[in-house]
Amino acid sequence: MYKFFIYSMLVILYLGLAKTLSPSEMGISYIQNEKSFSKITDKPYVTFILIDTHVTGFLIKTYYQKYRMISGYEEVEDLILRSSKEFTEKNLDNMGLSIYRRMHGQEEFLPLPPGSLYIDDPEFGQWVEENGEFTWHFKKPYKNFPRYLGWNDFHPTKKFYEELVLSKRLGRPFYGLNQEFGPEGSITQQAFPHFFSDERRKKMDLKTLLIEYFKENF
Amino acid sequence: MAEIFDRLIIRILLAGFICLMIYLYRYLHIIFYPTVKRQVLQATNPSENPADTMHLYSRLVGIAIIFSSITLNESSGFFLSIFHFSVWGILAITLYLISLFIIESIVFHHFNYTDEILKNKNLSYGFISMCNALVVSYLTRVVMIEAENSLIILSVLWLYILVITGIAIKFYSIISKLSFNRLIVQKNLSLGFSYGGYIVGAGLLIGSCFDQEHFDISVYMIQVLLKTILALLIFPLFKKGLTKIFPIKLTPGQQDAERQQLGYGIWEGCLFLTGAILTSMLVNRIHFGTIYPFF
Repeated sequence: MYKFFIYSMLVILYLGLAKTLSPSEMGISYIQNEKSFSKITDKPYVTFILIDTHVTGFLIKTYYQKYRMISGYEEVEDLILRSSKEFTEKNLDNMGLSIYRRMHGQEEFLPLPPGSLYIDDPEFGQWVEENGEFTWHFKKPYKNFPRYLGWNDFHPTKKFYEELVLSKRLGRPFYGLNQEFGPEGSITQQAFPHFFSDERRKKMDLKTLLIEYFKENF
Repeated sequence: MAEIFDRLIIRILLAGFICLMIYLYRYLHIIFYPTVKRQVLQATNPSENPADTMHLYSRLVGIAIIFSSITLNESSGFFLSIFHFSVWGILAITLYLISLFIIESIVFHHFNYTDEILKNKNLSYGFISMCNALVVSYLTRVVMIEAENSLIILSVLWLYILVITGIAIKFYSIISKLSFNRLIVQKNLSLGFSYGGYIVGAGLLIGSCFDQEHFDISVYMIQVLLKTILALLIFPLFKKGLTKIFPIKLTPGQQDAERQQLGYGIWEGCLFLTGAILTSMLVNRIHFGTIYPFF
């Protein structure tokens, strides 16, 4: 009993010290749910776009998510955050979408296409008529935003914007008029090829796994 | 050809210089063991007192182990590399002897060298002393390598490794069933093998905990501390497991006497050594990877 007590104390000491002192435990913030984003940054005009997800661990899993943090006037930053299982699983279908937005002190948690925060904001861009249809274009100082947002050649139309506003009002996630955003969306898949690469998605059976192992090692 | 011949001459000269350093060591040895002046400075018969031979020559092996950590950079010039070797060599020898003095003061605090080695020719004492000398030299070598020619880092790491080794030595009386002080007096070799296995295992384990990349000394020391505590958690599992896999049967009522037999000491020593090597593997050789290649 005495030995068991000593051993338990050692386990607690190790876990406590490792949690407090280990460099691997430092520097990565934890998000329990969407409300935790408020603590990550205090920038007034910010959007978080989910760009990658990763799970580590054998029996006890640790979940990581990678976000692109775009705040209107500052550098774009890619952040790796540790997340809860529930939050990670909830957002598996929201890959490439903006999960969190803050503007003028107001917060939004509804998954929407990236850049929703800036559409129709005259400070960032304007509507331009092209072939009888109005499309949203960023102003010159923000000319790199389509690249950061993963839009590439996409320009939101008025109809896109109206659907976006309607979804916000109804509290329903929006994946684009033709579902071009999200894990099944063509724009998202083109914007984040690393996440959608065949190598990442490949699921191997035991036989293939063993064959590959012997090929690599012997 | 001239270049090859030059390099051969340099090596021969360095061999002579290393012998000179070992010659100097004889005098340093006397500082810590003044009573052995005759044995160290004059020709002796090694068969006369095997315990003393073990005691003295294990230190010589230790010096060689430590010297193997010093690198000679000939590109910076022959005399500069000789100077570097002599500075770090003297430093290493001094650290080694101080460490050994401290460790032996902990291990043999009830005994003294003159009585046990010179008068009693105690082989058990000599064997334990030899194991201590080899382990301390190995650990000093690890510290010298990790210090990367920085005196401050060397002194910090040296103190650190000394504290950890001291604590490890104290643990022996907790995990072994042999009575250390009583069996030393009885010149029991079973104790020598048991302690030898334990201290060599502990030395390998501690050395492996120090063997890691370091960019920041405080982060490095935290990592070493965490690895040491982790080793403390893993080692008992192996000890327990190995005892279950290879159970021993002692005659009821004669257990204490049977434990004093050589076989028991060898069994316990092998168990400690195996456990420590396997623990070192689990503590240091598992690569969990990082999340970064995926992102």
